[in-house]
Amino acid sequence: MATATADQAVHLPGARGQDRRSREGWIRRLPLMPALVFTIVVTQIPFLLTLYYSLQSWNIAKPGSPHWVGLHNYVDVFSDPVFYGALLHTIEITFGSVLIATLLGLGLAILLDRKFLGRGLVRTLLISPFLIMPTAAALLWKTTMLDPVYGIVNWVIGWFGAAPVDFVSKHPLGSVIATVVWQWTPFEMLILLAGLQGQPRDVLEAARVDGASAWASFREITLPHLRSYLELGVLLGSIYVVNTFDTIYMITQGGPGTATTNLPFYIYQRAFEGFDIGQAAALGVVTVVGTIIVATIALRTVFRVFIENESRA
Amino acid sequence: MATVAATAPGSGRPRRRLRERLGGIAWGTVAWFAAIIFFFPVFWMVLTSFKPESAAYTNPPKFFFNPTLDQYKAVFSTGMGPFLANSAIATVISVLLVLLLATPAAYALSMRPVGRWRDALFFFISTKMLPVVAAIVPIYLAVRDIGLLDSIPTLIVLYTAMNLPIAVWMMRSFFLEVPGEILEAARIDGADLRHELTEVVMPVVAPGLAATALICAIFAWNEFFFALNLTSIRSATMPVFLVSFVTSEGLFWAKLAAAATLASVPVLIAGWIAQRQLVRGLSMGAIK
Amino acid sequence: MAEVSYQDVSCRYAGSDKLAVDHLSLDVPDGGFMVLVGPSGSGKTTALRLLAGLEQISDGRIEIEGRDVSGVDSRDRDIAMVFQNYALYPNKTVAENIGFSLKMHGVSRQERDDRVLEAAKMLDIDEFLDRKPRQLSGGQRQRVAMGRAIVRRPKAFLMDEPLSNLDAKLRVQTRVQIAELQRRLETTTVYVTHDQGEAMTLGDRVAVLKDGTLQQYAPPRELYDNPVNAFVAGFIGLPQMNLIRLPLSDGSVRLGDQTIKLPRQLVQAAGENGSREIIVGIRPEHVTVDDGAGEGIPAEVVLVESLGADSYVHASIEGSESTFVARTEGYDSRQPGTNVRLRIDAERMFGFDAESEERLGDGSSAGGASQTPASS
Repeated sequence: MATATADQAVHLPGARGQDRRSREGWIRRLPLMPALVFTIVVTQIPFLLTLYYSLQSWNIAKPGSPHWVGLHNYVDVFSDPVFYGALLHTIEITFGSVLIATLLGLGLAILLDRKFLGRGLVRTLLISPFLIMPTAAALLWKTTMLDPVYGIVNWVIGWFGAAPVDFVSKHPLGSVIATVVWQWTPFEMLILLAGLQGQPRDVLEAARVDGASAWASFREITLPHLRSYLELGVLLGSIYVVNTFDTIYMITQGGPGTATTNLPFYIYQRAFEGFDIGQAAALGVVTVVGTIIVATIALRTVFRVFIENESRA
Repeated sequence: MATVAATAPGSGRPRRRLRERLGGIAWGTVAWFAAIIFFFPVFWMVLTSFKPESAAYTNPPKFFFNPTLDQYKAVFSTGMGPFLANSAIATVISVLLVLLLATPAAYALSMRPVGRWRDALFFFISTKMLPVVAAIVPIYLAVRDIGLLDSIPTLIVLYTAMNLPIAVWMMRSFFLEVPGEILEAARIDGADLRHELTEVVMPVVAPGLAATALICAIFAWNEFFFALNLTSIRSATMPVFLVSFVTSEGLFWAKLAAAATLASVPVLIAGWIAQRQLVRGLSMGAIK
Repeated sequence: MAEVSYQDVSCRYAGSDKLAVDHLSLDVPDGGFMVLVGPSGSGKTTALRLLAGLEQISDGRIEIEGRDVSGVDSRDRDIAMVFQNYALYPNKTVAENIGFSLKMHGVSRQERDDRVLEAAKMLDIDEFLDRKPRQLSGGQRQRVAMGRAIVRRPKAFLMDEPLSNLDAKLRVQTRVQIAELQRRLETTTVYVTHDQGEAMTLGDRVAVLKDGTLQQYAPPRELYDNPVNAFVAGFIGLPQMNLIRLPLSDGSVRLGDQTIKLPRQLVQAAGENGSREIIVGIRPEHVTVDDGAGEGIPAEVVLVESLGADSYVHASIEGSESTFVARTEGYDSRQPGTNVRLRIDAERMFGFDAESEERLGDGSSAGGASQTPASS
């Protein structure tokens, strides 16, 4: 039996071999299919529908209102000052939080990379903010931490003679960013710590033998080695922080006024407080297109983590 | 060797050891200081949850007081139970579903890579880059039209989709860590595909599977946006409970702290126990 | 136990236009020990993996015990393999590692335990049966990998550089053990290595490969005495044979200020080709080093490597760029820069065609590269 088929495969490498190969290809692809189909159905079809709704004027509070309006919703979006504000706040929150969290995370990772008494416990304490439910974290920061009268932060700055500050109303964006940074610093720290610990020791020893100072070997060897970990951390952090909703919802509700309204929160308001489906959809499409543009540029220029990761395989 | 060290000028050896020791202590102190700052809000949350309400609002803040369980009793009496159950069900089932879908997919993208696996992998990751909010309108309308608003299955499906890309990516990295040689050894030893997977591959990737499950569980448990917009009473989860708690009970800090502690504690403890896997899991993809 | 036969086997990797294995034909008799040797990229590992069923052959056929196994899955070929990095299952104990193939073949638990213990005792690893691979040293891991192979009593052992991860001393020890074990079990063995010393000491017959093609397939002694071409001559033997390309005039070559008359059959063969150049090959052990004046080619010592029992003297010939290596007995205390005279045993000189690098003279008659496929 086996001999016969084998002979055919050898002597007739044409049609039959091709046939078998394509069938084998499908069998190989089979395990991928459920996940692929699921993802396409749940994530891609809604985006297509968003595109469709964005061309309609539709307010669910007014029954029977959907009708075709072409690009009217987009004209509204681009002439809406709140949209530009939301765009700006999205960038500020994402950029500010990820940058600060990554720098702090790098510092903490370097601290943790060296042995000292109770290192395990310190690491446990440091990762905790990441594990706290963001809704809970936002509430905590808004109340016990940042309250103008009873908040811990004001108590601490009082030691240095500073007058109490109403952070949430005076520095709303700063309050949001502080909370996000507190939650995402441990995340960045963990990724960078893994990077530091995955660093081959012999290279560092070689540098020391070559007479490099601690700073020089950090700059010349550790930092380049950390590059792909930094990229990964910034990328994953950005993906999540761009979508920040819970923190804003809990701390400021986008306010005061629209001072902390970012795109996710603005779309939410349009859809679920204004019931304006067409407008919300148009905002969504603009957000997606903007994200695609930024992500493509970022992936093509700065980030090599995906490309390198793939070519290694 | 030893003689060389002994004849070194000015008995440099003990002095250097002392300096290293002091350096180590300074280093540790800085690290501990940072850890205490970062952990303080968590500590304060737990501490406040045991305070009587009057002790929560003080300036300067109170560190010593008569601890009470009143706040926890109050939180439970507002009917937190169903929210907790909803969160648990949505998290557990969605994580199982994610693993069920992601593991074979990751296998097909790593160990026996299909043609154009690069594109498939990139597709999964790119869905993660698209903002969820942009899809909420049609999702809301679709779910409303098929009568699945305020139902746990809706959340399960969405949480699965939300975590699937990350899970595929992580699991793929774990599969890639399995040395190809041991698969060949298994084939020569007579293992068929099923045994190759159950006897050789899965035991090796099991810690990775745990790490993936944990990270997906964290994101599912903490998810707020879908839960807020797509549920109301029957199937609302813990984050929604926190919001409704604040709205209905007002901002009573001690009670609030108790509710926040209860909402966070499952993930917090799971994360503490599995922190080693967490580190590995998060750093995957950056490593070869 | 069975004979293994490669019949005109070729293998081309997807996306490559070069054949990794190029029309390979080889027969290993039942119970034989065949070594595939060659530099990296010679196709030796691919040839082994084709036999294991881990790579697909593009053309030709492979037979194990007379059965064509092309297209037969690895698990149905009844072979065992020892991998370069041992490929132990990290989550299984030593006993489970060794017994895994028996379990996969449905051998009862009782018999499995007995056979695992027997194999472990044979390899002196019975005290580690409950350990995990990561708790073992490199040498112990290597023996577990061996145990996994022998417990099967397969038709053939396939070994892919099994000693390359051991330190030098252990490598020699294990080499002896493998040879003993194979003699005792009489299992047909195909062994891949890049180390010509391993090939010479282990194999009944050695196949030398280069760029996917078989150069020569012969017993070790034959390879040493009668290499079919310059590549085999240079690859087999340590230190390497001196190979020098020289103009040929009137049946002799000039080295330094000396004219060396080549053996008659060499001159004859070269004359038939009408070539004006020849590659001469002289083994270091056939060069004698003399001090000062007298007979021989004047040369200057460049470097002396003294190994204790013998020494390798590297010397450059005056008026020529070529360096010669000579092997001398005992500890050689000559300093670099010393003037010496090299005497060459012309009768034991090899000659190779300057173009094809094929052996000239009597070499081509013995153990040819083009062994015809068995016409079974």
